[in-house]
Amino acid sequence: MNLLAVENLSKRFGGLVAVNGITFSLRAGEIRGLIGPNGSGKSTTMNMIGGLYRPNGGRMLLNGRPLNRLQPYQRAALGLVRTFQIPKSFGDMTVRENLFVPALATARERSPAAFRAIAERVESQLAFFQLDHVAHLPARQLSGGQSMLLQIARGLMVEQLSLFLMDEPFAGINEVIKSTIIESILRMNRERGITFLIVSHEMPSVRRLCERVSVMHEGKLVAEGTVDEIGNNPVVIEAYLGGANGAAAR
Amino acid sequence: MDLTLGTQYVLAGVVIGLLYALMAVGITFIHSMMKMVNWSMGEYYMMGSYLQFALITYLLGPRLWFLGVPMAFAVLFVVGIYIQKLVLRPMFVGESARRDDFATVVTIAMMVMFRNLAVVLGGPYQYSVPDYFPPTSLGPLPISGNRLMAMAGTVLILSGFYLFIKYTWFGTALRGMAQNRVGIQTAGVDVKRLDSIAFGIGVGLAAAAGALLAPVFLVWPEAGAVPTMKGFEIIVIGGLGSIPGSLVAALLLGLVESLGSVYVSASYRDLFGFILLIGVLLFRPTGLWGERERVA
Repeated sequence: MNLLAVENLSKRFGGLVAVNGITFSLRAGEIRGLIGPNGSGKSTTMNMIGGLYRPNGGRMLLNGRPLNRLQPYQRAALGLVRTFQIPKSFGDMTVRENLFVPALATARERSPAAFRAIAERVESQLAFFQLDHVAHLPARQLSGGQSMLLQIARGLMVEQLSLFLMDEPFAGINEVIKSTIIESILRMNRERGITFLIVSHEMPSVRRLCERVSVMHEGKLVAEGTVDEIGNNPVVIEAYLGGANGAAAR
Repeated sequence: MDLTLGTQYVLAGVVIGLLYALMAVGITFIHSMMKMVNWSMGEYYMMGSYLQFALITYLLGPRLWFLGVPMAFAVLFVVGIYIQKLVLRPMFVGESARRDDFATVVTIAMMVMFRNLAVVLGGPYQYSVPDYFPPTSLGPLPISGNRLMAMAGTVLILSGFYLFIKYTWFGTALRGMAQNRVGIQTAGVDVKRLDSIAFGIGVGLAAAAGALLAPVFLVWPEAGAVPTMKGFEIIVIGGLGSIPGSLVAALLLGLVESLGSVYVSASYRDLFGFILLIGVLLFRPTGLWGERERVA
């Protein structure tokens, strides 16, 4: 069953067509990679699905429900969250407070028992992402890698999370933190059945995580398949990887 | 210098600073949330003072003046919410890069409109409100009862405001919005709703200041002009968007005005604030607690 369906989605900025009528879908429980050269429209696509940009054409459905007119907070309430390449933390709040925000915002119940349950989830996420020793610090004091971990942990605090969009989660991150992120994605996919759409240039990480990969070029979806399939696709090699790099990626 | 006299001057400065603080916190609160400057803050102050005058004269009587302050806050809070929804929110629709600037220009229009509306409805006259409290003393400082009550009210309101911001869910969401507007949306918070509430709280604080200071600065259409000027001086000194900065700057401005009036001349009272402002900007262009850059 499809969790997300994107149909003929377009976005223009003045005369520039950033996304040009793309169509794809995600199965519930899938981990999909979205790759492409810089300026191919990946982040614009993420911004439209996440609700930050309004599309000029096409439609998006989450579990069959139209998303186009929904604000980002309404999408979060439906279980759709995202991360950004540059983490959007609440810098003056503590790391712990950062995790409380989405949990409280999307909580269906506001009783003391529900609050205790949220507090327990916060502590468990802090421990899993190895942020417990910095939980009391303002988020602005975290390193780039820790900020990315915080951003992912914060997304996972959304109640009823079903689709997690990640924009370049591995950019500029050291290997240890990269492993923690990969492990968290696999675990959340396995344990909570969360679907992931991951934009990344990090082919080794994409290969490790994603069963299928969609490739964008100049605002269009030019290929879809396993990492091996797209690595052998001449359109992709020409448009994105380049001959020698394509061989390296394979 | 005589120690008692010195203490009196410092205390007088602290009192004046606290009286300015409420207005400044309202201005900076709205700016930190919506990234816009509300030039009509003085008019909400003015409306708060008119409301207090009307409540005391026709409903509550002089002895129950203190009930007028929360009532002025509540009424202007609701008015602020609707003004934000009907007049300012349309400026934030769409993908314009200058929408906060458009909203700021709209507040200038509202300033002119409200000021003239007050002239139309109440005439260009000054109304006086009965004294809240007889003259008394604060330690070694002889102080007017009205100022003492206004100061106590300010401390009470700012304490409540701090507790609300620090310990409630709404306060946490508002802090999150001030720190990262995009981040708070994707965390599941409705920023449009928070914008309205933040605007309502900000103008409500101005109205409470107007109600508290009604017997000190009288009630008239331009009553909000001086508090607005002081409020803007304070937020620039403290750093635009910083509430702790506003509190410290308000006290600093009060002290500078008080000590300057005594040791130089009371005629230059307003000038001392601007000298402080220029001095701070020379060394810290973003103000004492100002952020160095905006976060999207």
